[in-house]
Amino acid sequence: MDDLLAEFLAETREMMTAIGGELVVWEADPGDRARLDAIFRFVHTVKGNCGFFDFPRLEALSHAAEDALAEVRAGRRSASPRLVTAVLGIVDRIGEMVDAIEAGEPLPERGDDLLVAALEPDSDDAGDVVGEVHSEANGARSPAPGAITQRSIRLATGLLDGVMSGVSDLVLARNDLARRMRDAGVDPAVQGPFERLSAILDQVRESVTRLRMQRIEHLFGALPRLVRDLSAELGKQVMIDLEGGDVELDREMIEIIRDPLTHIIRNAIDHGVESPSARLAAGKREIGTLHIAARQSGNRIVIAISDDGRGIDGARLMEISVAAGALTRAEGDALSEGERQALIFEPGLSTAAQVTAVSGRGVGMDVVRANIERIGGSIEVSSTPGQGTRILLSLPLTLSIIPSLVVGAGNQLFALPRSYVEEIVHGRAGHIEFARAGEAVLVTVRGRRLACLSLGEQLGFADPPKPGVSTLVLVRLAGGDLFALAVDRVFDHEELVIKPLAPAVMATGYYAGSTLLDDGNPVLMLDIAGIARKARLIGEVQARARAADDLVEEQAAAGVPALLFVGLDGGRRAVRLGSVRRIDRIAAAAVDLTADPPHAVIGDTLFPLAGAEGATLRDSEVSVLRLGDGQSEIAFAIDRIVDTIEMSGQIAPARRAGLAEGTVLIDGIPAEVLDIHWLFAAYGEPPRAVEPPTCRLQSGDAWARTILAPLIESAGYRVVDETFQGAADVAIANEAGTPGLAAATVITLCADPGRAEQAPGSLYRYDRAGLFAQLAALRTGRAA
Amino acid sequence: MIGLVVIIEIAGRRAALRASDVQSVVELDDVVAVPHAPRFVLGLSALRSNTLTVIDAAAAMGLPPRGVPQRGGRAVIVDRGGHRYALVVDGIDDVADAPGDPAPVPGEAGPGWERISEGLLETDRGPALLIALDVLLAGPPALAA
Repeated sequence: MDDLLAEFLAETREMMTAIGGELVVWEADPGDRARLDAIFRFVHTVKGNCGFFDFPRLEALSHAAEDALAEVRAGRRSASPRLVTAVLGIVDRIGEMVDAIEAGEPLPERGDDLLVAALEPDSDDAGDVVGEVHSEANGARSPAPGAITQRSIRLATGLLDGVMSGVSDLVLARNDLARRMRDAGVDPAVQGPFERLSAILDQVRESVTRLRMQRIEHLFGALPRLVRDLSAELGKQVMIDLEGGDVELDREMIEIIRDPLTHIIRNAIDHGVESPSARLAAGKREIGTLHIAARQSGNRIVIAISDDGRGIDGARLMEISVAAGALTRAEGDALSEGERQALIFEPGLSTAAQVTAVSGRGVGMDVVRANIERIGGSIEVSSTPGQGTRILLSLPLTLSIIPSLVVGAGNQLFALPRSYVEEIVHGRAGHIEFARAGEAVLVTVRGRRLACLSLGEQLGFADPPKPGVSTLVLVRLAGGDLFALAVDRVFDHEELVIKPLAPAVMATGYYAGSTLLDDGNPVLMLDIAGIARKARLIGEVQARARAADDLVEEQAAAGVPALLFVGLDGGRRAVRLGSVRRIDRIAAAAVDLTADPPHAVIGDTLFPLAGAEGATLRDSEVSVLRLGDGQSEIAFAIDRIVDTIEMSGQIAPARRAGLAEGTVLIDGIPAEVLDIHWLFAAYGEPPRAVEPPTCRLQSGDAWARTILAPLIESAGYRVVDETFQGAADVAIANEAGTPGLAAATVITLCADPGRAEQAPGSLYRYDRAGLFAQLAALRTGRAA
Repeated sequence: MIGLVVIIEIAGRRAALRASDVQSVVELDDVVAVPHAPRFVLGLSALRSNTLTVIDAAAAMGLPPRGVPQRGGRAVIVDRGGHRYALVVDGIDDVADAPGDPAPVPGEAGPGWERISEGLLETDRGPALLIALDVLLAGPPALAA
């Protein structure tokens, strides 16, 4: 709603700016029909929009002006200077109101009726009235000092594109300069300002990136309604399930895919999902499901639209194509089932047995495909007859600054998008096992058996190293398939500006783009999905990733897998791998070290942050381990990861309970082992009781409501007032008395510490510890 | 009328590129190989923080390839379709004036040349075949397909 409102305000303001000149000209020549029309359109639009937003005063004003102008347009009235003045007065007033709405201030003083009255043909003194009201309104309008309003403007996307490619080039030029400065050994006096410049550039780049991006939610928002209307129209029952609304996409891209997506949904509901009775007869749930998921995958956005309907009948499509003359019988017979299904993208075919109002009129998926391909995307269909259809849209991100992992294979460097990377393990680690199945190499990582591809082998390098001595990058593809990519070395994480490749290189299907590293050398960005496809992994991988439970036990005997890392304080530490949920790089700005305990924001969630005591964050990003105990998660800030290792030696216990449970020797060098139990005791937030105990506060007591209530809630209670019907577990009263505070226990808070000591069951109202202790005791009592 | 052209030498023959197509002539830095790329793509190189796709002009015509140039070897920089290419050729001669239009080659221009040339151009440095850049950059048909 806020977005819509901002849009309305921006549009109104934009129109006002545009008609500013018209107003002046109209004033000079009230007979000018073109100006009149422009102003009429303005008040008409404002009227239409503000009816939608429930601004009755704006609506009344614009309505009155619209009426008067309509009279003039119809020739029933002449545009007298008095009328012009009155209309201008109203236009100005609309401007004031828009300003006020945007600033969140109350609307300017009343006086609308005078303005409206001034429009009446018989009001003699309109000129005076308007002048008067106008000046008064101007007085009321002076904005509150210091009020900051978030204004929005509209820009041509071409300009944005220009700025963005300029910034991308700046980053590359900066990297080049940095390299040259390193090589030449530049004076520190130059280094300082350069680093500052560099930091500013990074900020600019970040904001510029956000300029064009919009959450795909904006597109998803309209879909539930669309699905509801369509299914009602077609007599079907369809439930929509949306996922990945937080994926960000270029604004323009969102507009471009709006129609194709709508079309695909229409098709899915019309042709895919069966009628409720047919579904029941087929042994399915009466209600069909339409699942739409968006996901960023490298420099592509993948949107999957799946339904659980009747699927696509490839044979029938083939028959239709042959009948339509698009294929010969021989060609049709030679097609695989997948190719036959892909015939839905051919022009002029319709699977609908009969044309409905919704779809099946021949304008079909061929147009969708053309639109998607025009923007550099691709579309694929896969369908299992009787079970459903999945359509995959793969779209490019126009702006491609991609967090990447730089790896080595052969003597060359390659980059791969970090979003694919699930985990990095060393092939030597004892909990990794390799097996061969014919020519295929399989690897077992923590009980999961995965296909293992050697990057060197895939790229055709001579003599690639054995997977056992490689580093394995576990890669998760958009479809959820997981496989291991063996590389010679993993170098670094970098944010890379990915540029498109020349068509001849793109055609290989192995690369998604190229970029320049800090050392000035070009590096190729791998097209992970393309490589997996070439190795025929897609689709089969899932089947190969089977849990092998027995292996988990063997691995326990071999030693405990652990992650060796360097803490922010520089200490070498190890943590049991089992408790590490994932490793994230987050912006330093997302870390709040001053809170107690310190917190880190990862995604949309606040995590308590350990490992950061006394540390300062030197870089703009920090790595965190996310540790989990099965119920809650905490983040642990680290400097860098060294390796995954096997802890087989004995742990020398620590003398005091704390961060470390003890010290272990790893490769002859001691490392502290994190005490997960202690960490969760100190940082973990206990899961809240499903049904929290209730605490009754007086609704009339402002102190209790604003100062006390948050405290009570933090102690795990739900705050209720007198209107709460059930029995509250505890009530907190002030000295004045406790009318209506029925509860199992009543705590009385006194404003005077002296009195609190005298009265039994009373506490000084700022005795935080005392209050907490009582509340905690009551809670445990209740639980027991 | 073509106007100015850059005279280059490919596989021992004289050829011409429209001067308006040519960005500059540079000395190449290291060339990074692109595994699986067609043979006429020698790799990628960097030029003033831009990525260049390095093309072996002879190989792109279907003639025996010239191979990856030494560091510092000269190449012609051309822009096409938003991408920047470095053409590796046998020699880069000079800019010449071609007052006329390309004429059909009398007789047979020979394999490779027939496909990528727009015709014979009389320049003030002698006759040269005018190269159709788009065709050249697409590579030999067998590989481009």
